[in-house]
Amino acid sequence: MNTKDWKILLVDDEHEFITTLAERLDLRGIPARVVFDGESALEAIAADEPQVVVLDVLMPGIKGLEVLERVKRSNPHVQVLLLTGHGSTRDGIEGMRLGAYDYMMKPLNIDTLIEKMESAIDYARKSAKAGQ
Amino acid sequence: MRDALFMGKLTASATHEMQNILATIRESSGLMEDLLAMGGEDFKHAERFKKGLRVLAEQVERGMALSEQLNYCAHAPEAGPAGADVNEALRALTGLMHRQAARSRVGLELSPGRTGLRTALRPVEVMEAVALAVEAALGLLPPGSQLRLCVEEQGGLAVVRLFAPGFEALRETPAWTGLSAQARSLGIGLSPGPGGLGAVLALPRPVA
Repeated sequence: MNTKDWKILLVDDEHEFITTLAERLDLRGIPARVVFDGESALEAIAADEPQVVVLDVLMPGIKGLEVLERVKRSNPHVQVLLLTGHGSTRDGIEGMRLGAYDYMMKPLNIDTLIEKMESAIDYARKSAKAGQ
Repeated sequence: MRDALFMGKLTASATHEMQNILATIRESSGLMEDLLAMGGEDFKHAERFKKGLRVLAEQVERGMALSEQLNYCAHAPEAGPAGADVNEALRALTGLMHRQAARSRVGLELSPGRTGLRTALRPVEVMEAVALAVEAALGLLPPGSQLRLCVEEQGGLAVVRLFAPGFEALRETPAWTGLSAQARSLGIGLSPGPGGLGAVLALPRPVA
């Protein structure tokens, strides 16, 4: 698996959590950009489309599910992995209905996250090809 | 009721915060683990360090379980059209009462039973009634006993069964009277278990 060309965007208002996660991904050869709110996420996606967005559901300002909705409208090939908290089933199911690729509950297992990222990238590539 | 909903709202928000704290601890300890694996051979205290990281991971798991149970409690006073999932309510309750049981030196466990059974009661009402039965049993069972809870279906009703050796004496105690009154007020049927052992709480069926 060549991860160097993966384009990942991580979005969470928990600075320590998300920057440490980015650092751990970097140690595994997976580059990831980090932003801390929904507005910045939408700007980052518009400026340079990622393949996968890892998106926290509960954030101040624009909520994760709203970001998801807007991303799926503007950039339908971008795959979104939601990070949910308690009551994850409800948020997760709602997220899947809105077009999320999958959801995970915090705290994360990094190996599971990478597996889901890989599968989402594969799906994104296939769906982009099919849409050409 | 309004008090419980208000406290629940505050608690639910705090449990989300706890979850973020635990997630950050896990990522930070994960990073230390990664860095140790990359070049820790020369580190004199590597083994001790690894042990510390294992403890951190275990404690995060423990914190997560507790945080989930508290989050469940926070939402338990809320009434929903589908009523309460009995197994979910008992899972949170047994997790939270585990420490109380341990103080009485009684093991408390939820046996694998039927999942998906519902009742018209709110989760908090299921938890309160079963907690009363558990507390009554804890005051009675000798140290070293094991108290088991199980969710079953009987005649279309969700039924909670409590059983432990020597538990039959419960019906001779004042606690049984209190439990009976509480059960009646919630529309719960209370009876001895099969063979006179333990107690059975038959919960009101969900609204169709």
